[in-house]
Amino acid sequence: MNRESQIAEEAAAWIDRINQPVFDAAAGPAFDAWMAASARHREVFADLQALWQSEALVEALNHAEGAPVAGLAPLASGARSARTWRTLPQFAAAACAMLLAIVLILPALSTTTYRTLAGKSRSVVLADGSRVDMSGDTELRVQILPWKRNAELVRGEVYFDVRHESARAFRVESGSTTVRVLGTAFNVDRQGPTRTAVAVYRGAVEVGVADQADLVLRKGDGARVVDGHVTAQPRIAVSAPDWKSGWFEASDIPLGVLIGKVQRYSARPILLQDAALQALPISGRFHVSDTDRVLKAVETAYHVDVAYGPKTIAIRPAGNAQDR
Amino acid sequence: MPAILHQIKSCKGAPSEDWRAIAATLSRYVRARTNRTDVVEDVVQETLSRLVHQSRVQTLVSVYALGFRIAANLLIDHHRRDSRYVAEREEEPVSHAPLPDRVLVGRQEVAILRQALAAMPPLRRDVLVRRRLQGQSCAAIARELGLSPKAVEKHITRGLADLHKAMPGEACASGNVR
Repeated sequence: MNRESQIAEEAAAWIDRINQPVFDAAAGPAFDAWMAASARHREVFADLQALWQSEALVEALNHAEGAPVAGLAPLASGARSARTWRTLPQFAAAACAMLLAIVLILPALSTTTYRTLAGKSRSVVLADGSRVDMSGDTELRVQILPWKRNAELVRGEVYFDVRHESARAFRVESGSTTVRVLGTAFNVDRQGPTRTAVAVYRGAVEVGVADQADLVLRKGDGARVVDGHVTAQPRIAVSAPDWKSGWFEASDIPLGVLIGKVQRYSARPILLQDAALQALPISGRFHVSDTDRVLKAVETAYHVDVAYGPKTIAIRPAGNAQDR
Repeated sequence: MPAILHQIKSCKGAPSEDWRAIAATLSRYVRARTNRTDVVEDVVQETLSRLVHQSRVQTLVSVYALGFRIAANLLIDHHRRDSRYVAEREEEPVSHAPLPDRVLVGRQEVAILRQALAAMPPLRRDVLVRRRLQGQSCAAIARELGLSPKAVEKHITRGLADLHKAMPGEACASGNVR
């Protein structure tokens, strides 16, 4: 058993002992000693205690398949537990907590991570009712709190349709780029560690980079942030981002960025190691969900070699390939 | 850092290091049970002040066990007050659309737990239902299911550890509260 699950089991054993109606006085010092022994002990115990007392657990147990339904429980046991509850104040208190808590479901402040694999897209409705459509090979971390809504685009491309809430702004972070919205539909494309493209399809957003003035984008506007510099992009006419139909409109963008987009649809890694090739400016409309077609188009138009290996696809400067 | 900690340093019981750890642990617990920051601060402060008071008037069997119990009771008080507040608020003419996230995130949590419960051996699930939902004692469960008390304990321990493992939460919950 690994260390972490051992701690979890030890903590769980303490949960059971600490929450007994009559607390065993002899166990007290041992429990405090266990808690004092490590910060991880304390963290896991705090989490487990909260879980054990949570209304979510009560509800889940109520639904547990094959679980005896409370009303069908043997009469004797029902009567016994009723008596126990009356005589022990802490149990009565727990019962109150349970009933009240079912009314006021108070979820943990957790961050949810959504991921897609290459070639797979996914649509998710967030806790606040906003919708996100994720392209392939995308990772998005979302935190919806009562006072703010945050999303972090770790990689990939996401179309956001944010539910309007005047009191609670929605923020998307993509590297050093921050997009602030009220209620709107927009697309964020993380094209590289320091490169992000934003396009707005409804409403307005503010795009900001660490210490620059924010640029306001309205419906039909686009912007590109490269290495901390924001540039406005030509107006977009379509009503939904290109990637949703598998297309990508490239105007003077590095080959590396295009390949990054193609990679989102291809399970086979595409290797592009030549620095000059990576920066090669590309223009055109590409069907990025069709890996072979894009690579063929790039191969013919830009004089590069595409070598299909068993596990990878390599793109190299023309003439360097040894197998041609 | 809760302000109460500054007053504790003079107390002769446990060194202030311990109080810091106790405060951090209790805030983590309270944060996991409520998403209202103001409640978290209130409950942790009040729990610490009662703990300190108790530790001055008597030798505590377990400072942690008492701390968790006080915090749980204070959370109940807050929920009661909140439910009154919510009831009053609903009569106001201006109504914002209800925020679905409280319910929805709760839904997610329930869904995860249900899944984890479904993946357990049926006997273990049954033991958890009896212990947590029906409040049966370990001895009673052992009697009714024909298990040894040790086996019942093991099922609860393993079951809880499984549920804990299924929950995401770790990422954000590890951020420490001042």
